[in-house]
Amino acid sequence: MTAPRSLQLRLALALGLAVTILWLAAASFTAEKLRHEMDGLFDAALKDAAQRILPLAMHSRREHRRDEESRDDERRDRRGGPARAERIARLHKDDRFFTWVVRDRKGETVLRSANADKEAFPPFTREGFRQTATHRLYYDAAGRDGLTIAVAEPLSHRTAMAREMLLSLGLPLVIVIPLSLAAIFFAVRTSLRPVRRLRADLAQRGARNLAALSDRGLPSELEPIVQGMNQLLDRLRAAFEAERSFAANAAHELRTPVAGAIAQAQRLRAETEDASAAERAKEIETTLKRLNLLSEKLMQLARAEGARLRTDTPADMRPILKLVVDDFARIGAAPRLHLEMPDEPVLSDLERDAFGILCRNLIENALKHGRTGEPVDIALSQAGILAVANACPPVAEEDLARLTTRFARASDKKDGSGLGLAIVRTIAERGGGELAFASPIPGKPAGFEVRFTLPRSEAGPA
Amino acid sequence: MRVLLIEDDTVLGAAVRDQIKADGHSVDWVTRLDDARDTLSAGIFDLILLDLMLPDGRGVPFLKNLRTSGAVTPVIILTALDQISDRIDGLNAGADDYIVKPFDLDELSARIGSVARRYSGNPNPIVTLGPLDIDLAARSIHRDGKAVALTAREWALFEAFVQRPGQLLSKAQLEERLYSFDDTVDSNAIEVHVSRLRKKLGRDIIETERGLGYRLGHP
Repeated sequence: MTAPRSLQLRLALALGLAVTILWLAAASFTAEKLRHEMDGLFDAALKDAAQRILPLAMHSRREHRRDEESRDDERRDRRGGPARAERIARLHKDDRFFTWVVRDRKGETVLRSANADKEAFPPFTREGFRQTATHRLYYDAAGRDGLTIAVAEPLSHRTAMAREMLLSLGLPLVIVIPLSLAAIFFAVRTSLRPVRRLRADLAQRGARNLAALSDRGLPSELEPIVQGMNQLLDRLRAAFEAERSFAANAAHELRTPVAGAIAQAQRLRAETEDASAAERAKEIETTLKRLNLLSEKLMQLARAEGARLRTDTPADMRPILKLVVDDFARIGAAPRLHLEMPDEPVLSDLERDAFGILCRNLIENALKHGRTGEPVDIALSQAGILAVANACPPVAEEDLARLTTRFARASDKKDGSGLGLAIVRTIAERGGGELAFASPIPGKPAGFEVRFTLPRSEAGPA
Repeated sequence: MRVLLIEDDTVLGAAVRDQIKADGHSVDWVTRLDDARDTLSAGIFDLILLDLMLPDGRGVPFLKNLRTSGAVTPVIILTALDQISDRIDGLNAGADDYIVKPFDLDELSARIGSVARRYSGNPNPIVTLGPLDIDLAARSIHRDGKAVALTAREWALFEAFVQRPGQLLSKAQLEERLYSFDDTVDSNAIEVHVSRLRKKLGRDIIETERGLGYRLGHP
């Protein structure tokens, strides 16, 4: 059996088990001790009874013998013995658990108590205690006459007494143990309240909240853990910020010189009279643009992997999609782009920039791989599903699976970074959205469609 | 048109300046926000090209201050900050357009023209004046169906009139729009350009108000 995972249950079980065992052990010990004492007391009573009855029996026998000697044999009455024995028995009425027999030297029963069962008394061998299967006996002998007495007490009596004692010891335990268990459970539960609060705090914040944990009211054992965690969160936040600002700065630092070089190449092309120089300027420009595209995609990937992709307050995603579509429209893609958006805001707590990067890559991809001149359908639904579809021959199943791996291109002839869908996948995975590819488009013979389900804010629409 | 370019990268700044000049506009180029403030207080600009990360500060607060102080000059942001949130910030601060580096110089020219047209009150680039068919976006003029070639300066001067139909423009205003602080301007430069325009497009294209200035006529 494995131990339960819950600290609370583990503590309650261990304490409960320990207390129960200790209680039972203490009760057993007490019972054993008491039983031992009781046996001593009973034995003493047995011995005491024997020592009291024997002289009486001897005395009674002497009286009897004197009577017999002084009176005629005719006066002998067989009923006399038992009558006297009964008298003695009556003298010991209190000893109703004892039975006894008095025997002479030859082992003949001389006297016995009224309820004595002859079978219960084995013959005399020596003085002292003896035990049979059913009785505890005490044998005593009295000097010259050769008379012996055996007093017997049924063992069932002692067993009954012991049972009663055990019951009176055990009955309170039946109540005390469950009560202690309940008390332990509540004590453990109360003591672990800060732990539960910490757990709830951690559970509800999710992965995106890196704010410090509250250490108010925490037990001293937990304080170092929470402090350690807060330090870790601080470092994490700093690392995220550093990565984020690195990606942003690197993009900036790269973009400006590349922009300068491209612009100069364009000026050169515009100003030169020499056709071959213009051609070379154009080649430089093309190369620089490719370099720029690649560095841009790498930066986007770095951003998608490093930055926090969820915000604390949900925002409308429609203006972002609109901005991105407008960008593409401005560079001449307007006739191919068909945008559909609901009138109501589409709220999500996905980071706006991440959504922008995702939209840009999906549309870029659709424009690049869609059949030239065919429309690209972009639809954002009220339920937060962004679908980008383009016309193309159906993509094979195994190619669909391969699409989001880095530097994988759908076809060799297309000029692309091979990173677009990998960036989209990273954002979907880290931001908590769902990404699905379909080719052919459901309900159509061909085409390619990407569906991205926006993560909805946990708080619900504000 | 007179453009203020605020850009600290010398290679890119030079190329942009040359492009705008080649389009016939005048350019004043500064690399710091302090210089930009001084230059703005000294002259009237038709358009500002603003980089967002400058050695002495950020462009967005600068733009916000500019708008708060009541300036209505069109502003196009030229920046390496490509994130949607940066773009929203820039547009919300009062920018008229937002261009992410690297960009095509021709696209920049087109956007400058488009923003300028929106400010002149007529975003439509096609203007008809009597026998003249003018395409401000394509920078082409047809007179009675025949193409007329203008130099960049002539274009810039003509555009200044077309964008302010009926408005009287003084010689000083025209010089300010056509020449930057660094240009050496001949005292009769405006008269020379006006006379060339009249020769190419017709005598009545520009009317002279003696001692006051010029305005667009009815050819």
